[in-house]
Amino acid sequence: MQNVIAFIEHKHGAIRRSSLEAATQARTLADQLGGKAHAVVAGAGAAQAAETLKKYPLDQIHVSDEDRFIDGAVDALESVAKAAGSALVLVGNTMIGRDVGSRFAARVDCGINADVVDFTTDGGAVSCVMPKLGGLVITTCKLTGSDFGVAAIRPNVFAAKETSGAGEIVQIPSSGKASSVTVEDEVEEAAAELGVEEASVVVSGGRGMGGPEPFTTILKDLADAFGGAVGASRAAVDAGWVSHGHQVGQTGKTISPQLYIAVGISGAIQHKVGMRTSETIIAINKDGGVPIGEFADLLVVGDAFAIVPELTKLVRDAKAAHA
Amino acid sequence: MRPEVGPLKILVTVKLVPDTNADKRIDPATKRLVRTGVETVLNPFDEYAIEAALQLKEKLNDGSTVTIVSMTSPSGKEIVRKALAMGADDAVMLCDDAVAGSDLWGTAVALAATIKTLDADLVITGTQSTDAISGDLPGMLAEKLGIPGLTYARKLDVADGRVRVERETETGYMTVSAALPALVSVTKSANEPRYPSLKGIMGAKKKEIKQLAVADLGLTVAVGTDGAKAQLTDLATPPARAKGQTIAAPDPAAGAAAIVQFLKERKFL
Repeated sequence: MQNVIAFIEHKHGAIRRSSLEAATQARTLADQLGGKAHAVVAGAGAAQAAETLKKYPLDQIHVSDEDRFIDGAVDALESVAKAAGSALVLVGNTMIGRDVGSRFAARVDCGINADVVDFTTDGGAVSCVMPKLGGLVITTCKLTGSDFGVAAIRPNVFAAKETSGAGEIVQIPSSGKASSVTVEDEVEEAAAELGVEEASVVVSGGRGMGGPEPFTTILKDLADAFGGAVGASRAAVDAGWVSHGHQVGQTGKTISPQLYIAVGISGAIQHKVGMRTSETIIAINKDGGVPIGEFADLLVVGDAFAIVPELTKLVRDAKAAHA
Repeated sequence: MRPEVGPLKILVTVKLVPDTNADKRIDPATKRLVRTGVETVLNPFDEYAIEAALQLKEKLNDGSTVTIVSMTSPSGKEIVRKALAMGADDAVMLCDDAVAGSDLWGTAVALAATIKTLDADLVITGTQSTDAISGDLPGMLAEKLGIPGLTYARKLDVADGRVRVERETETGYMTVSAALPALVSVTKSANEPRYPSLKGIMGAKKKEIKQLAVADLGLTVAVGTDGAKAQLTDLATPPARAKGQTIAAPDPAAGAAAIVQFLKERKFL
């Protein structure tokens, strides 16, 4: 593979952070492979997103104004990839990123690697490094047997860096096709916030929270103090205290934030596999014998309902002192 | 597309995975998962797909059927039977050494070819498996089948030859629809999977589980290990996380201060 194409996910022109990470990583890999770094952005607001992308180190920014949900993005990627002749496609490992990347891979019959945290290149060959079984093993998979390949990169692992890039904006001609899927409406139930997959700090609550309220009060406050996100264990989600989108663990999301704070979570294997690749883990629990104590960097044994608000105050003070 | 809107043939894809609750380890010598003491179970995410299919069948109540499809070794039969015990009508297993070691692409190709032999109106899948956790198969299957893919559905309904779902988003949901035949992947929020009843378990023993081989599919490309387009070249075991410090904090303020001290040492503050 020679060229690298970053698929850009955006909402009315506002680009998701993981896509900016893909755009930045596209340059690094394209330089290693001796090819060009492209971005593909499609849908309503694509032109606005393309303006933002000019600040990233891309050679070409391909814009499709067609608003055909996943179909439009896959068609746009396909046309750019085929014109490039040989290309690695980078998508964020997000719901939309997976939909677009998977459909592209099936369409052009190429390999796809999910949840990629590192790359190695050897000549024109690209290998992806991925933790599997919740970080129990680190696998390396080489993309082969095709001029194309797809890597879904784990958010929050690769850096997103603005540079003085001056990508050339290229308009993708309209295909005039109809969408196979009709979007009837879109409903916002919560304020736009950083998801657990993308946040660099995640504050999670478990069974020890005893009800839904702490997830919108003390845990939310602490997460907000860091500019982070609120997560939850399976027990808390199954009890209906917080929605499934927040769940960290084997039947939820696998994440690797810089800082993970587990509050009232025992750390059963189900949860552990979803967060053990976090850089730093702090646990707060009333029981000193919980399994999470075996792999957390710090376990504080005490009353979380009293410690967390106090901690929030100290974090806010420390942040204010630096501001 | 079928011209008439009659009973639906609903297909549910399932995968067999190592038990999610078992603490798995890798044998450092063979670099393979130690299977001893680790049971094989139905992928938990697929139970939501089965439940969604059964609820739809019950709601339509027009002779619609639910067929389980799985790519697995013949030993997976007893686990496939669990899906039948939940209430599915029959099952088709693709059992062939030629598909062993397939990557995502090979799996999508072989599974799509299997589904194509069954003339389905609606394919329902889980969102991901607990062992591979890629979340890419639903999209790949839809593309290979050449049908619309409605993923991450927390609610689905079929009326007048169209399937309409509530697709989960990070901040809410979207209502999206498509004409049948289509593929839908359902999330954990969609339902509460039922336990097989005793009657269901007894009845499942009489239900048909058909076995297919690659030769039955008319595949023109090689799948399995040799055909893989994402080839495993290395498998390493990362060092286990070391046990850190434990601090008793009967005084909450002191506990919070200790955390702040730790955060400062690690340059978070």
